[in-house]
Amino acid sequence: MISNFITMNGYGLYVWLSFSVVFISCTVVYFSTKKTLNKYEQEFLIELQALTIEEKNKALETSKIAQQIYATSSKVN
Amino acid sequence: MFKFFSSSNIYPLIQKLIKFINSIFFLILAIGLTFALVLSPPDYLQGDAVRIMYVHVPSAWIGLACFSLITLLSVLNFIFKIKNFYFINKSIAPIGLLFTCLAIITGSLWGQPTWGTWWAWDARLTSMIVLLLFYVFYILTFKLLKKEELIIKVSSIIAIIGSINLPIIKYSVDWWSTLHQPASIKFTGSSSIHSEMMLPLMVMLLVFLLYAALIFLMKYKTEIIRIKKKNIKRK
Repeated sequence: MISNFITMNGYGLYVWLSFSVVFISCTVVYFSTKKTLNKYEQEFLIELQALTIEEKNKALETSKIAQQIYATSSKVN
Repeated sequence: MFKFFSSSNIYPLIQKLIKFINSIFFLILAIGLTFALVLSPPDYLQGDAVRIMYVHVPSAWIGLACFSLITLLSVLNFIFKIKNFYFINKSIAPIGLLFTCLAIITGSLWGQPTWGTWWAWDARLTSMIVLLLFYVFYILTFKLLKKEELIIKVSSIIAIIGSINLPIIKYSVDWWSTLHQPASIKFTGSSSIHSEMMLPLMVMLLVFLLYAALIFLMKYKTEIIRIKKKNIKRK
């Protein structure tokens, strides 16, 4: 039964290769996207921390998004 | 009217949606793979090679759906000048490219055991290659051009011209004699696919849609952060 599952009655190579190509491509794209997102979050945090306290507070007050990015990025770190 | 589509309204939802998708994704993936590789029956003609359908068909559908969405948002952006649609399109395009590539590769892997060839320049396969090229040109505009207004114009023109190819892909199997089989699943009229194969296909489609949504949300979030970072620099 297991051997049948692996060989897929002679079509195993094509079936497993198809599923593997999809799985590997999707995994690579997922991690590369996540890496880019983390990089930008880090850079955003660095930019924010480079500001003076007044500038930082102003940036956070005027933008809801900046507040949230700051909050989530701080949690990650 | 389109205030809802502003990034400040959408951003809070993104993190919640990413978490939600992450929490259910692997369960649905496990169910989908069990159906696709174990429980679904082999085809009476194609045998177990038919299982490739469970990754090939959802990939092709998502590849087409992404380009349709890009075209729609490009047209809306032209009319209503909603800049957020540009960022949404920029985040969708790589997903469409990925799934179009996967549809072509898995189609080729399905073609060898069923047609006896990896590739044939028939209407369906060629029009999918044309779609792939449109995705490449579309993404290249973001990489090669510098001015945002010019990028919006050029990419929208590419999307609108590329949309002509979408009905060609859909009806290529009806208009021309092709190696590729006609559609088994019809939105109008009865489908010729058995429910034992339809169910795994729909579960795998859900898996692919969740994955596409996850990547889109992460890319869109990256875009928003990139813009906010620029704004901080300006201040």
